[in-house]
Amino acid sequence: MTGCAATARASGSRFLMLLLVSLLTACGQNEPPWGLRNISGLMPALDFTLTEASDGATVHGKDFRGKVVLLYFGYTHCPDVCPTTLALLSHAVKALGTSADQVRILFVSVDPARDTLAQLKTYAAAFGPEVVGLRGSEDELKAFTRRYRVSYGYGKPDSRGAYEVSHSSAVYVFDREGEIRLLIGSTDSAPTITGDLQRLLAETPGASM
Amino acid sequence: MKRVLFAIVMLGIVMAAHAGQPAVSVSDARMRWLPGDLPMAGYFVVTSHAPGPLRLLGAASPAFGDVMVHRSLEESGVARMVHVDGVDLTPGQSVAFAPGGYHLMLMGRTQELHVGEEVPVTLRFNDDQTLVVIFRVTGAQDE
Repeated sequence: MTGCAATARASGSRFLMLLLVSLLTACGQNEPPWGLRNISGLMPALDFTLTEASDGATVHGKDFRGKVVLLYFGYTHCPDVCPTTLALLSHAVKALGTSADQVRILFVSVDPARDTLAQLKTYAAAFGPEVVGLRGSEDELKAFTRRYRVSYGYGKPDSRGAYEVSHSSAVYVFDREGEIRLLIGSTDSAPTITGDLQRLLAETPGASM
Repeated sequence: MKRVLFAIVMLGIVMAAHAGQPAVSVSDARMRWLPGDLPMAGYFVVTSHAPGPLRLLGAASPAFGDVMVHRSLEESGVARMVHVDGVDLTPGQSVAFAPGGYHLMLMGRTQELHVGEEVPVTLRFNDDQTLVVIFRVTGAQDE
């Protein structure tokens, strides 16, 4: 009984410790603050099983080890927020010049019912070669979004069957080792994103926290 | 006689105000290209020069089967789109239809569209006032 209570308390304080560590890391003297929000250690490493839109192949999170990954959830029938975000990310990545190839922007559809692989492929390609369109079965998508506490929901279909999709607007940034590092919010600018990506790319593997 | 003339002139001004075209200026009209027949977003800045309140009620274009006024909202980190019945403009006020906010939702292309093309869109205001605005098709990656 006591052991159980102690465990619960321990896991609670472990979370606090993690939070504290991440705050200290963000403000520590050794490390200048990041332009984006530092969420190191607050979410699990990049892991998923999905289908890549460009070739229909099954891909896993670990396939992207070695690249800095920007993870974004959206849908193709989204004319405003999704293209705006993808254009911003694409600009930020292009500004890296020759290092742009070391970064991947993963666009995961939260509307697999309408987003066919072909549609997702042309949509992703419209934003640049670094953008990877990913689609999952309902179960795969649920598992993935639950892992990162990403929410999405569907509105009521209109007379033509069209419906709105609400979705998390955040973009998660993972380092080359697949560890969660930064969060891009809707107010962050392309130069801020580029600057932090440069820093992540310059890190020696194994040197991150 | 002067009074009659004055009355006729005044009547003319009032009638002009109620005629087809609203006293607004529109700038930076563009629509972001997306592949296939995916809905596209239209953006512009509208400024009212009308002496009284104006209301933008909707839009239509020969290049699209349906055009709606939408607004993107972000609440607690979740983005969603809502349909808007109209947008009010007070005298002198400018409203920007811009990414992440108000936009035209352009659906059901009636023709193939290419980046750089110019597409007419009719903006509809209160009292049956309409204004044809030329929108430029910009690339998916353009701001």
